[in-house]
Amino acid sequence: MPPPPPLSFTLALLTTLLVVTSLRLLAILPRHPFRPPPPRKRPLASRILIVLGSGGHTHEMFRLLRELDTRKWTHRTYVVSSGDAFSAQWVRRFEGELEGRVRDAERRRGKGDGEDEDEDGGRGDVAAVGKNGHVNVNGNAKIGGNGGGEKPKEAEAEAEVGKGRGRGGQERPYCIGPEHYDIANIPRARHIHQSLLTTPLTCLRTLFSAFHPLLSAPSPLPTPPHLPHTPYERAATDLPALILTNGPATAVLVVLAALTLRFFDYRGAERRGLCRTIYVESFARVKTLSLSGRCLVWVVDRFLVQWEELWGVGRGRGEFCGVLV
Amino acid sequence: MKVCFVTTGATAPFTALIESVLSPSSLDAFLKEGYTHLLVQYGTAKEIYTDRAKAAQTYLQQSQKNRELEIGGMDFNPDGLKEQFKLVQESKGLVISHAGSGSILEALRYQIPLAVVPNTLLLDNHQEELAVAMERSNYLLRGDVKNLAPAIAKSSDFRAKMAQFPPLTSGKHRETKSFADIMDETMGFLD
Repeated sequence: MPPPPPLSFTLALLTTLLVVTSLRLLAILPRHPFRPPPPRKRPLASRILIVLGSGGHTHEMFRLLRELDTRKWTHRTYVVSSGDAFSAQWVRRFEGELEGRVRDAERRRGKGDGEDEDEDGGRGDVAAVGKNGHVNVNGNAKIGGNGGGEKPKEAEAEAEVGKGRGRGGQERPYCIGPEHYDIANIPRARHIHQSLLTTPLTCLRTLFSAFHPLLSAPSPLPTPPHLPHTPYERAATDLPALILTNGPATAVLVVLAALTLRFFDYRGAERRGLCRTIYVESFARVKTLSLSGRCLVWVVDRFLVQWEELWGVGRGRGEFCGVLV
Repeated sequence: MKVCFVTTGATAPFTALIESVLSPSSLDAFLKEGYTHLLVQYGTAKEIYTDRAKAAQTYLQQSQKNRELEIGGMDFNPDGLKEQFKLVQESKGLVISHAGSGSILEALRYQIPLAVVPNTLLLDNHQEELAVAMERSNYLLRGDVKNLAPAIAKSSDFRAKMAQFPPLTSGKHRETKSFADIMDETMGFLD
């Protein structure tokens, strides 16, 4: 039997691939103006990935995050460009503030102790977080190591509180402390004064390393294998539900990496509605988009601008919800 | 006491702003508006600051006003500029800043009159655009590095009419969404 004509075969193959790729891209890329997805129940634990950049971007990002609810976003992964000690320092300060806020709430609730006795469970929640910086829901896997002086009775009580919450799913615990966030370093996409010739190479390197924090967050306290993992740990090792960026060059590559995962529906990224992306254009951009913004306006799920002049930019993709920072 | 704090950026200081703020015309404007203290964060540009501050002192002495306006400098505070901003807040003073978005956001959080001076030497920089847009909404005053006196003169009146930042309502939208709500909406989490 004669071999098939190689040229037409290659052409047919390429055409098929092209058609399949375009169809898939059409399916996963966002529709022009943002339309909210069908409502769904919030999972017990979700991971959020936050891309930080140089001074200005990082500053704005933490302004955006000032109302971050650690009961909803139970694990935070901060992506920092290697060598950016400033952003890493800012992460620790921010996470410290989140902890402080919970402790303040705990103190306020503690004051009203004698007056009302109905909200016992609620108070228990915060108190438990105060001691461990972590509360587990099922009460069957203890991860947040107890302080030396703590009595076992208290630990049991905490587990009880946890059980109640797990069933009811009403009151979610605050997820604060070092086991609920991590800082991932990835190499810089482009160094200052770097020649344009080598930029594609360093970008490629950044793209590859961007998969790492997307696929999983390191767990500082590994649960022994015989114990089932808590939902919080599972969320930390799962793909992030949401990716937040506001313009550093690294962000473009992290979003591309996330899109790749969705393209192949890797670990159900597309099917389970994970790896959704929000881009917030810098508040310093009044009339024109930044380079990152121009790259990402067609790709991210939501594109937010902070000045009316940019409203509807990118054929109606730019949303204006007021100043957000 | 009435304090004016000048911040020029820590890493790449805006030296023209240091020179401008210590020029005779600016000093006269400060005196006229009743400022008693002028504090300059010069970052890494210490030499320029020392030189200009000396000239400014001489100028004040010549006009017998050196008791009325005190000039001080600082390089960089790793803990941020909280103290300086509080000082301005309490003394009902003014902040003069380069137009970097980080500095603008930080100063406005204290609800203090802010005059920003765009660095016109920077290419492909959107400082001027941002400053114009912010001034139009009455969030801040825009100053010209070549002549700061008008901005200084306007500062006391501006205190009364300055708009709150970030705005509580965003004008065209009846309902403003917080960023936390936007995050939930994107995911479809409605609870």
